[in-house]
Amino acid sequence: MKKLVLAVALTMGSSLCAMAADEVIKAPPAAPYEQVSKLVKLPDFLPGMGQLFVDPTTLPAGPFLAYDHDGKLVSTIYMLPIKDLNPDKRFDDLASPGGNVDHVDVYYNAGHPGVEEPHVHVVLWHVSAADEARVAK
Amino acid sequence: MTLTRREILGAGGGLAAALSLPSLAVWGGEMVEIKMQGRDDGSHVWFDPIGILIKPGQTIRWSNLNPGNSHTTTAYNPTNFERPLRMPKAAKSWDSDYLLPNESFSVTFTEQGVYDYYCIPHEHAGMVGRIIVGEPEAHGWAEMIGANGDLPEEALKAFPTVEDIMTKRVVRRA
Repeated sequence: MKKLVLAVALTMGSSLCAMAADEVIKAPPAAPYEQVSKLVKLPDFLPGMGQLFVDPTTLPAGPFLAYDHDGKLVSTIYMLPIKDLNPDKRFDDLASPGGNVDHVDVYYNAGHPGVEEPHVHVVLWHVSAADEARVAK
Repeated sequence: MTLTRREILGAGGGLAAALSLPSLAVWGGEMVEIKMQGRDDGSHVWFDPIGILIKPGQTIRWSNLNPGNSHTTTAYNPTNFERPLRMPKAAKSWDSDYLLPNESFSVTFTEQGVYDYYCIPHEHAGMVGRIIVGEPEAHGWAEMIGANGDLPEEALKAFPTVEDIMTKRVVRRA
């Protein structure tokens, strides 16, 4: 009986994840996500990242959802201020609606409108490393 | 004293918007270019050159050549977000607001002295610059208590020295 309950729970869980991924897999994602270039003065398409959407209430961490020129989701990005990476601060339970992750990049960013301080980009790529070229330019 | 304008670069080079533009004149000679630049991944951003010596009446044009980021050129002046004064007291302040890639902004400098400025989203990453017009003024802002104000350490470390600019005329980042 316990096994059956667990199986049902796992099935429901994976279905919910699939539903979440379906809702964000094409641009524009549903509210509360908003286009970053309409929230702050940034280019609409950022070379290396793509077209970004974010729920403004989750700033600065995000998640930011990044799409290619065809409106397909390529990555989920978290932006973590360097000053907040300390013993007194945590980033817990960040949403990850984008589904399967192929690989992850972590790198320093000096700042930009919206996150105006040095921070770390944690990028969950939903496409292969070769397909990162879809948002290179 | 200060005339400012904001342009879109590229084909046609048309004037996109004009800010406080009663007339446009360059009294002292050629336009001087300062590029706003950055690495593709945003890990490093800078003004190029970071320090420059010009003559009174010359115009400086800042251009955003960074395709993935927005930048500002913003004077250290209490009129800009109550920042400390780091420019001649008699000179007019400036703030370009955010410049998207290929946009530019110009200021003409007539008052002699040392002018420090920064990029709003990148001050904490040390994106600052220094302009000297003519010669450093005697008993200027640099001698005032509180001139460093709330500037982050990264910004304070990044300014080229007055002596270096006076010697080399153009100082680029190391």
